[in-house]
Amino acid sequence: MLVRDQSRPVNEIAEHFDISQQAVSQHLKVLREAGLVAVRPERQRRLYMVRPEGFESLEAFLADLWPSGLRRLKAAVEADDAR
Amino acid sequence: MPAESISVEMHIEAPPERVFEYFTRPEAMLRWMGEWAALDPTPGGEFSVNIRGVPVRGSYLELNPPGRIVIAWGHAGSDRLPPGSSTVEVRLHADRGGTRVEVIHTGLPEPEATRHADGWRHFLKQLAKAATGDGRAPTSR
Repeated sequence: MLVRDQSRPVNEIAEHFDISQQAVSQHLKVLREAGLVAVRPERQRRLYMVRPEGFESLEAFLADLWPSGLRRLKAAVEADDAR
Repeated sequence: MPAESISVEMHIEAPPERVFEYFTRPEAMLRWMGEWAALDPTPGGEFSVNIRGVPVRGSYLELNPPGRIVIAWGHAGSDRLPPGSSTVEVRLHADRGGTRVEVIHTGLPEPEATRHADGWRHFLKQLAKAATGDGRAPTSR
């Protein structure tokens, strides 16, 4: 995958596709909104990279959801109660 | 289709009445789960929470303060766990001056690996049928 190991600007990414840079930008915007791609500014450019956590599987999400959720619930309730 | 379930317990040093709110008030829920929440804690009311970017969508099925909440739970845009397709039961038991919280999440899809294994078995059976051309059960070699 193009932006897995390093972040790249949109023009470099677009070179690998048969669609316009503008179209690539649109796709990146959708991926960014879905949390699958992150963007960071560097000088005049915006660099895109993959967010691995965005590709977390349903299994991984569900396995962690309640165990870590209840730990955080306990911490939140007990901290609020101590106020 | 066999369904999976997850069951987790936790002791919290606060009475059930207090813990109950953390499942029904958005600002209390966001203290421990999710980045955004729209909650209507009435039977049939909206249960929408975005958790780590996952749009969890469903509804409250039952509310019996302070002891029990049942929520229909799924993920927007998910084929495997569509909105409202699984059930989360929260039980709050008064225990040693605090609360024993029990969460039972049922109706979860089978792990993808199992599904894929089943899919391949089915496919190989079809392939064997097609190859032998007579629809008999495939023989192993």
